[in-house]
Amino acid sequence: MAVPTTARDDRTRTIVTAGAGRPDRSARREARRNARVAQGGRRIGSHVLLLVLALYFVIPIWWLFVAATKSTGGLFSSPAFWFDDPMQLFANIAGLFEHQGGIYWTWLGNSFVYSFVSGVGATIVAVLAGYGFAKYRFRGRGFVFGMILGSVMVPLTALVIPQFMLLSQYGLVNTGWAVILPSLLNPFAVYLMRVYTQDTVPDELLEAARIDGAGEWRTFTTIVVPLLRPAIVTVLLLSIVGTWNNFFLPLAMLTNPETLPVTVGLNRWLALSNAGAGGEQVWNLITSGAFISVLPLLLSFLLLQRYWQGGLTLGSVK
Amino acid sequence: MKNKVFAGLGIVAVAAAALTGCSSASGSAAASCTNEILKPDATQVSVWAWYPSFEQVVDLFNQNHDDVQICWTNAGQGNDEYTKFSTSIESGSGAPDVIMLESEVLSSFSIRNALVDLSAYGAADVKGNYTDGAWKDVSSGDAVYAIPVDGGPMGMLYRQDILDTYGIAAPTTWAEFADAAQKLKDAGAPGVLANFPPNGRAFTQALFAQAGSKPFTYDSAAPTDIGIDVNDQGSKDVLEYWQKLTSKGLVATDEAFTADYNTKLVDGTYAIYVAAAWGPGYLQGLEGTDDSATWRAAPIPQWDPAKPVQVNWGGSTFAVTSQAKDKAAAATVAKEVFGTEEAWKIGIEKAALFPLWKPILDSDYFRELESPFFGGQQINKEVFLPAAAGYSGFTFSPFQNYAYDQLQQQVTAVTVDGSKDASAALDDLQSSLEQYATEQGFTIK
Amino acid sequence: MATHTLTTPSRRRATGHARRQRVGWLFITPFLVIFAAFLIFPLIYAFGMSLFSSTLATGTKFVGAANYLKAFTDPLFLGGLGRVALYAVVMIPAQLLVALVAALVLDTLGTWLAKASRLLIFAPYAIPVVIGALMWSFLYSPRFGPAGTIFGLFGLDAPDFLASSAIFGSLVNIVTWQWSGYYMIVIYAALRSIDPSIYEAARVDGASGLQIATRIKVPMIASSMVMVITFALIGTLQFFTEPTVLRSIASGALPAEYTPNMYAYALAFSYSQFNYASTIAFSLAIVVFIGSFGFLFLTRKQNGLK
Repeated sequence: MAVPTTARDDRTRTIVTAGAGRPDRSARREARRNARVAQGGRRIGSHVLLLVLALYFVIPIWWLFVAATKSTGGLFSSPAFWFDDPMQLFANIAGLFEHQGGIYWTWLGNSFVYSFVSGVGATIVAVLAGYGFAKYRFRGRGFVFGMILGSVMVPLTALVIPQFMLLSQYGLVNTGWAVILPSLLNPFAVYLMRVYTQDTVPDELLEAARIDGAGEWRTFTTIVVPLLRPAIVTVLLLSIVGTWNNFFLPLAMLTNPETLPVTVGLNRWLALSNAGAGGEQVWNLITSGAFISVLPLLLSFLLLQRYWQGGLTLGSVK
Repeated sequence: MKNKVFAGLGIVAVAAAALTGCSSASGSAAASCTNEILKPDATQVSVWAWYPSFEQVVDLFNQNHDDVQICWTNAGQGNDEYTKFSTSIESGSGAPDVIMLESEVLSSFSIRNALVDLSAYGAADVKGNYTDGAWKDVSSGDAVYAIPVDGGPMGMLYRQDILDTYGIAAPTTWAEFADAAQKLKDAGAPGVLANFPPNGRAFTQALFAQAGSKPFTYDSAAPTDIGIDVNDQGSKDVLEYWQKLTSKGLVATDEAFTADYNTKLVDGTYAIYVAAAWGPGYLQGLEGTDDSATWRAAPIPQWDPAKPVQVNWGGSTFAVTSQAKDKAAAATVAKEVFGTEEAWKIGIEKAALFPLWKPILDSDYFRELESPFFGGQQINKEVFLPAAAGYSGFTFSPFQNYAYDQLQQQVTAVTVDGSKDASAALDDLQSSLEQYATEQGFTIK
Repeated sequence: MATHTLTTPSRRRATGHARRQRVGWLFITPFLVIFAAFLIFPLIYAFGMSLFSSTLATGTKFVGAANYLKAFTDPLFLGGLGRVALYAVVMIPAQLLVALVAALVLDTLGTWLAKASRLLIFAPYAIPVVIGALMWSFLYSPRFGPAGTIFGLFGLDAPDFLASSAIFGSLVNIVTWQWSGYYMIVIYAALRSIDPSIYEAARVDGASGLQIATRIKVPMIASSMVMVITFALIGTLQFFTEPTVLRSIASGALPAEYTPNMYAYALAFSYSQFNYASTIAFSLAIVVFIGSFGFLFLTRKQNGLK
């Protein structure tokens, strides 16, 4: 597996090529020891600060977890941050299976499908485009790239009606495609891939491959893509998260409850519960549903830390 | 790595296949019904509605009809559904054949030519089944844009136990209401007498109407003419009345339809709930109801007991949209889905709706209905039927959402911020609505 | 594979060049197709819509730039712009400060506690904005939130977080909570790529930790901070989701036109004025464009972009 030849220090390379090999632990341990020696006393202060910050960020999530274990009555009567007497988590989960025919799990499934399909699709598109922008000097490149960056500035509200019209022409409104296809558009991912490709794939490598007679596509798939792995994973994760958390697009495009992702579905229940009409108050299902729906993302963040940390070097270093 | 790319493509392919499989019949919204179609050869009519337990009503209809079948979806509640409808009108496709609309938004959609005039589809046949007030709400001049379903004649629901504790009699006039509020506060009660929400919307407008307010004059036969009179003396008097109560802290100013508000309705923070006929069902569905509470219903307080005025808050209808492929079939659905006793039994008992369909409205079953929540009181006979009978209808504007938003801003300024008095607020409302109407090309009459 | 450089004969390079141009375009094509379908075409259509005026009573007619004149003199639009500008001035430094401090502290610590904190600070990014707003709406509720209990401990009355006077701070809090972790990770990654030998040299010269942080680290990551600020600016000027979700419980404090994006949404979906809604959306885009490019220009020395 080729190693990038751009000059970087040990520490960075271990992070950047996290996908390529095991990280070099001894270098980091050394650096850590130095830091510890130099800043002994301030460590406690720093740790306290970190703890306070971490608490601030975690408290609402803790609230959500505690709320998910309560019944609707318990939600309104017991203190916010601690559990109620009978833990209702399993009853709530059972409720999620019963209410409206277990549609919650359909919503969750929809979220998975939409996110993964559009995430993979957007990543493939971004990898191809990033490579194209980075390594081919064609006329108009700068202009097109600038346009892409500028597109981030367009408010979504302007685009919804025309997108709706386009998709309804092909009969795709109210299907999953209405969410997936527009979500394939991820200019930020293209930007990240371009920067990463530029920094990590040396021109000399490509020249050598071309001289050896490899076609452009083969060069791309066998040489370039392996080098880009950390970035690909990051972009994949960002795209999946982006689609999973998308609210406005499915809200506008989807009508049939069976097609909703979990964000829009929970919002429906929220609207119903606020309006309070006859027995539709399902606060306990909203909180437990919301909690379950954030678990996949939270867990994937925990397990894929290396890629987040490594991948986000992209684009921030010049 | 090559593998990764191809693996990725593989996932996309599988998922894509799964999706197309799921939506294979897609292309028309009609294919995806929440209910089951019993007679696949019949004409399908798509319906958007959010009534609780509506699926049972739909099943009933489908069982009893061979030539028409309902394909029902819940497309969201209230404004959520209206947003989708609005988008589909603008883009020209995606609207259902029949749609549940509250009567207050009918002219907002009829002005965009989104609704079919049902007078050409036999609306006159069912007119006799509805009260005059209800029929007026769905008509504009000679045109009939929807069939009434349920209504919200107003009454007063109150906590007998709280009033008894403080020796207060249930008020029958607004003057008594103000006295009761003062008495409750003086006695040191932890709650207040009632709530006057700044986002009252139709509630606030109904209270104004009770003092004679007729804010809008509009006929779809002359769609560009509109009459606006929101700063009439009746409205000003009513708003001033409530301002006095809120400024003295005798009445709360909590926003309606929030979790806070819902809890306060049932835990005794508000002793009185000036409510529509769907209020009892609403209360019973809320969490945290005090078991020791004793609820009773009484007619809404009046300004002049010698000349009682009945008003309405909310209620819904079924309209046929102009995108409907088979308008006759759609009209049949609109007329008949809530046109049988059986359907109404479901609507009344499961969905807590107040019917506007006279055969059941006038029936002994409905009249004599005893409500256990109200200690067995026959609330329909005593409160809501007279209110419904006395209701003479109301005209809304074709930009009612905008009007409500402006009303909310003015009421907030008066009762929450205390920055304006009632008279100035309503004058401001008048000028802002006039300006808006002019901008929108209306001629103000 | 050999990594040596070769001097290719210029003849070969010339013919390969034209072909590579085409190949370059080919790689970009999938993205361009999607870009054209879901951005360019809708944008052009929306722009077209913004040049027409469609009133409720009369039909649609072409008005051209008059719509834009109307937008830029519309007090509701301008008021919304002022508000988001104020939010930008307050929220961006707040998020940046939290992110920077956290990243700096994390850069110096390597303990498991630091790693755990890093994950926890980042966690809110995993929460969909709608659910985050739902959580905070509960926490802010005068009835169900803990504010009453917490303030009661100090013998004080809890403030009403949803009143018009407090809603600004409440929204700043939600956004800071949601996004600081994300910015922190970006800054942290940038910090990690600095050669630590520079710190050694500085320490030898007697620099304290704080001086290293402010005089060395921060300037060295200036370009990533500029990028963070630019994206935060674009996002804040288009502020929409959090105030919209909070509107359902605080519609008194948050009118429909609270931010320009919300105004465009209300115009389209509440009042059915789709043309003027497009105009407002484009006017907002113009402001965002000027704002972000203006900012990039002002920081051209630091941002490292060509």
